[in-house]
Amino acid sequence: MRLAAAALLAWLAGAGPALGHDGAPLPPLDFEPPAPGTYILHRIMPAPDGEVLGLDGRPQRLSRFTRERITLLGFIYTTCVDPDGCPLAFRVFDAVRHAVGETPGLRDKVRLVSLSFDPERDTPAAMRAYAGRRATDGGGGVPWSFLTTGSARALRPLVEGFGQDIRTATDLGPGRPRRELSHVLKVFLIDRAGFVREIYSSTFLHPRTVLNDIATLVLDH
Amino acid sequence: MSAHRPVRSVVVAALLAFAWVAGVGVAAADETCNSPYIAKLIKGQEDYVYVWALGVEGVGDGSDKLVTIDVHPKSKTYGKVLGSVSVGSRGEAHHMGFTDDRRFIWAGGLSEPKIYVFDIAADPAKPKLVKTIGDMADKSGYLGPHTYYALPGRMLVQALSNTKDKGGVTGMALYNNKGDFVTSYPMPTDGGGDGYGYDLAVNPKKNVMLTSSFTGYANYMRPLGDLIKDAEAMKKFGSTMVAWDLKAMKPKKVLSVPGAPLEIRWSLKPGDNWAITAAALTSKLWLIKEDKGEWQAKEVATIGDPAKIPLPVDISITRDGTGLWVNTFMDGTTRYFDLSKPEAPKQTYEKVTGKQVNMISQSWDGKRVYITSSLLANWDKGGSDNEQFLRGFAWDGKELKPAFEVDFTKEQLGRAHHMKLGSKALKSS
Repeated sequence: MRLAAAALLAWLAGAGPALGHDGAPLPPLDFEPPAPGTYILHRIMPAPDGEVLGLDGRPQRLSRFTRERITLLGFIYTTCVDPDGCPLAFRVFDAVRHAVGETPGLRDKVRLVSLSFDPERDTPAAMRAYAGRRATDGGGGVPWSFLTTGSARALRPLVEGFGQDIRTATDLGPGRPRRELSHVLKVFLIDRAGFVREIYSSTFLHPRTVLNDIATLVLDH
Repeated sequence: MSAHRPVRSVVVAALLAFAWVAGVGVAAADETCNSPYIAKLIKGQEDYVYVWALGVEGVGDGSDKLVTIDVHPKSKTYGKVLGSVSVGSRGEAHHMGFTDDRRFIWAGGLSEPKIYVFDIAADPAKPKLVKTIGDMADKSGYLGPHTYYALPGRMLVQALSNTKDKGGVTGMALYNNKGDFVTSYPMPTDGGGDGYGYDLAVNPKKNVMLTSSFTGYANYMRPLGDLIKDAEAMKKFGSTMVAWDLKAMKPKKVLSVPGAPLEIRWSLKPGDNWAITAAALTSKLWLIKEDKGEWQAKEVATIGDPAKIPLPVDISITRDGTGLWVNTFMDGTTRYFDLSKPEAPKQTYEKVTGKQVNMISQSWDGKRVYITSSLLANWDKGGSDNEQFLRGFAWDGKELKPAFEVDFTKEQLGRAHHMKLGSKALKSS
């Protein structure tokens, strides 16, 4: 495991600016993050469990996606357009996946999960369209699971368990009334035992900080 | 902290049970002086001021309580007490803070290691005590929880003292939002650190957290008149601030700031990377700013006449970082400093707002200013000088005009201390 972390560190040292999936550069990090292994990521809380739907529509337990590997999990909704919200997370996930996939010995120890909090619109078919090639390309051995839930009732224990605050309102602007969702971006880093070890807001959600934290968890192990 | 795009024209419909707020913007900071991780900002007219009040023996039930006051000028109950929630004991109620989702207020007292969690989302007009966290002393060894600072999914609690000798060497306790203890961080006692704590404030973009320093239980629970005659005890006040690596939660540099630096306020103006604090015993304003790659502290202004010990106790920065309110306890004066040149703050206004004044809070637009009276149970003045109140003022940039007053003694509520603002629009289940 330490070799894998060392390989990731080497990759980080040689990596240029991280790129999102659309090629747009991610915002620069305005500080030098602490080196992996020089700090402790404490167990913040156990990751909650509940029933989710994969792209095939089959009910599964979320814990199947938050154990055994280090998991980066973020709540999303496919109609989100805020550049500092889901699209930012998507690009960071892409960059992290690429970096981990380039690191022998690590790619089989990390996974990504995007979980919709809009079960009404984000059906498994909608999630498949959102995922695009990422649902099937293997990601260099780093799986990226796109999950949704069957109902608001099924979703509720998950968003409450993670502490993901979500708001919904009706936009009565021109045209038909439209339901609007919004949330403050949070992304969760979960260790192999299923404990949340870091919660990122947009400020710290950057490939460098996430990769450093993954390397820290690997070294911690 | 970023948030998703604001709803345009709005009629709120609670479509999901865990839903939403209306008329409440989402921005990078709370009403000028809360954690930048707090998601919901009241940009318009606030409906409530929550006051965390110290219980007084023989006054009401004598217990500490969270008091809700209607501050909407168009309300029929404007300036009136809507209700209070007693915690059933007296523990030197002091400060409080919102969780990052602003659904809960955490509040505590300086004479006990208890933390009270109030739900303010289910009905913002009627906060409800939903949890008491009583393990801080056992888990961390710290006493006197003071600052409650929201981090994503967590609450960082700065304590003032410790259970071992009740001195000023202390630390911070980290809890998750469910109230489970996560870990603790001692204040540094090496590299020039005195180990004392008081306030904390973060600048995530720079990955820096600043902490300040006050004194321990043995001093703050002692009658002020006795304390100031005790030369040895008076040496036991903090004289440092610490710049921390926020991500690693490790101290990076100890800054010399003599005279008990208290509240810390970062400028919220985009692009600004400086904070300001007031040293209580020396009556000075200090600027903390990055210079030559390191965080530096610099004395930049004098508050009143330090020889008279006006005792600056609370500060409130405007949303654009160009102005600072300063309350001085002993002379009951509220001062305004022009901060457009943070290296050279200039006082432009002052008014006596009470016989003793402590906390000062302002609305996001700066047009409304709220002031309370109590510092500490044993430090408040006696006799007729012991006014206990919440006073609301209107500020037009030139004059603080009284708008309403709640007499906490007459209302049998106790000593009025810390304030937080509330809104009907923040209701969610």
